[in-house]
Amino acid sequence: MKEPAPALAPPGAQTAPAAPPPSWQQGRSAEQAKSPLHPIAPILTGRPASELAHDKLKVPPGFKVEVWVDGLPEARSMALGDKGTVFVGNRNLSDVYAVIDKGGKREIKKILKGLASPNGVLFNKGTLFVAEKNRIVRYDGIEDRLDNPPEPKVIIDGLPEQPGHFWKVMTLGPDGKIYFNVGAPGNIVMPSYIQAAILRVDPKTGKMEDYAQGVRQSVGMAFNPKTKQLWFTSNNRDWLGEDGPSDILQVVKRKGEHFGYPYCHQGDTPDPEFGKYRSCSEFTPPTLKLGAHIAPLGMRFYTGKMFPAEYHNTMFIAQHGSWNKTVKQGYNVINVSVDASGKPKSKVFLEGFLTDPKADPPMWGRPVDVLVMRDGALLVSDDYNGIIYRVSYKK
Amino acid sequence: MTRTRFAPRRVAALLIAAAASLPLLACARAAVAADAEAQRQKAQTCIACHGPQGNSTNPAIPSLAGQPKQFITTQLVMFREGRRKDAQMSPLAAKLGNADIDDFGTYFSAQKPAPPAHRTAPDKIAASQRLAEQNHCVSCHGPELKGQQHIPRLAGQQSAYLRAQLRGFKASTRFDMDGQMTSAAQALSDADIELLADYLSGLP
Repeated sequence: MKEPAPALAPPGAQTAPAAPPPSWQQGRSAEQAKSPLHPIAPILTGRPASELAHDKLKVPPGFKVEVWVDGLPEARSMALGDKGTVFVGNRNLSDVYAVIDKGGKREIKKILKGLASPNGVLFNKGTLFVAEKNRIVRYDGIEDRLDNPPEPKVIIDGLPEQPGHFWKVMTLGPDGKIYFNVGAPGNIVMPSYIQAAILRVDPKTGKMEDYAQGVRQSVGMAFNPKTKQLWFTSNNRDWLGEDGPSDILQVVKRKGEHFGYPYCHQGDTPDPEFGKYRSCSEFTPPTLKLGAHIAPLGMRFYTGKMFPAEYHNTMFIAQHGSWNKTVKQGYNVINVSVDASGKPKSKVFLEGFLTDPKADPPMWGRPVDVLVMRDGALLVSDDYNGIIYRVSYKK
Repeated sequence: MTRTRFAPRRVAALLIAAAASLPLLACARAAVAADAEAQRQKAQTCIACHGPQGNSTNPAIPSLAGQPKQFITTQLVMFREGRRKDAQMSPLAAKLGNADIDDFGTYFSAQKPAPPAHRTAPDKIAASQRLAEQNHCVSCHGPELKGQQHIPRLAGQQSAYLRAQLRGFKASTRFDMDGQMTSAAQALSDADIELLADYLSGLP
């Protein structure tokens, strides 16, 4: 039997405790309770490139940026097939798309349906891997049957169905294993051992291992083709102020390394709530601080031949741009190079999406992922508009 | 130093340029007006159920007038993709292209919401306000519950529609893009849902 409400409760008083606030608000201080800041939602219909100021996008001299394809809903992570198909995932929809380049004309096909937030896509030796909210699946031989894809085979199932940071990315290791993230289940919370982590799984055996800890949410990772070390971007906590903590770029030097979340942010800032339990000195500091709330997402090492030599083996990183900040920043693609002494240096590579840092929305497009094509051009996805841009270079 | 002045020739040139641009401006305005008229005509299909200018008079059917554009377009995409389902809406949305959806969003978001026909009983207002606060409604739906981005306006929405959505979220049967509403509705009793629907539909 249902218990009656206590007799002294005022009329209309709620009997059950209210649900917690939305996960993006979790960790907000009392003073921030009326803050108008909010995440920026993508336009799911996309917008035709003809309506947008893409001619205002800027790249360094000698480079050219053009619209490669538009009308691709919420275009996020990208993967390149052996036969040139570009596979594209998203976070709010349930489909995976393929873009087929037919002699300069590009055709968009919805190839997979009914998936749960298929944000992560990875291609290797004829197989497309898709990371959903709760599982990683594989589609073998898919490029020959885009109109009639095979049933997925499950590699891992049962990953936590968590609020906040449920979307995943993957990269392939030199060991043939798939490296992927399980984010923190909120802005600033104590994670379980499988959360706020980078894990790896052998797609042949399905055996899974922990790889890195204390990573709040990595939405971009790539192995350095020369050193074979894993580099990743990670988004740091919100509601700690306009200018910090910084989002970070990290390199993993050994399996099991801990990067600080939720105890310590950006290597030197103890968390106001969890910082007392551990010390910042226990954790690996960032290789590079990328900026507060700037949301570094997809990253790739440049392995093409088209761009000038100074870009070879450097990193391109897409910044989705800030929301938890009154004066917005980011929304660029940056280039990060590492000098002989191991010191990283960052510069803006593609810019022009940000229009007014104090407006809502402050920008007209948001980069999510980068992809090096076979000809050496760089694709950049924009989930806000459902557009993929192509950056090329000519001497 | 002499003060800078417009040379007469410069002024004349400016005047000519301004005059020359007038027909262009008129053209641009006419094009916008034609677009708006095309959108209005397209929206006539919707108005059959959603009411004049998207101000519903049927308590079970939502008003669209003054909803954020991104809310309208997101829901239509979700109906089209079969993620949100409704006997009337699903077949209609199945045929829509992105440009149609964009037109509906533009038209209905620009319409003025009619003052609410529903009156909340004065003795229930305080308790309802408290409920709305405890359950963080303003967090996403905005300080005046008028919606923002892809999140709907609740103020003045039809009460039976609101009640049905909240019950659906509570039962985990209503489409929910990110799970926030399903999670929020778990703590609401049937009486809470009644109070909220009654309160929100009376808000201007």
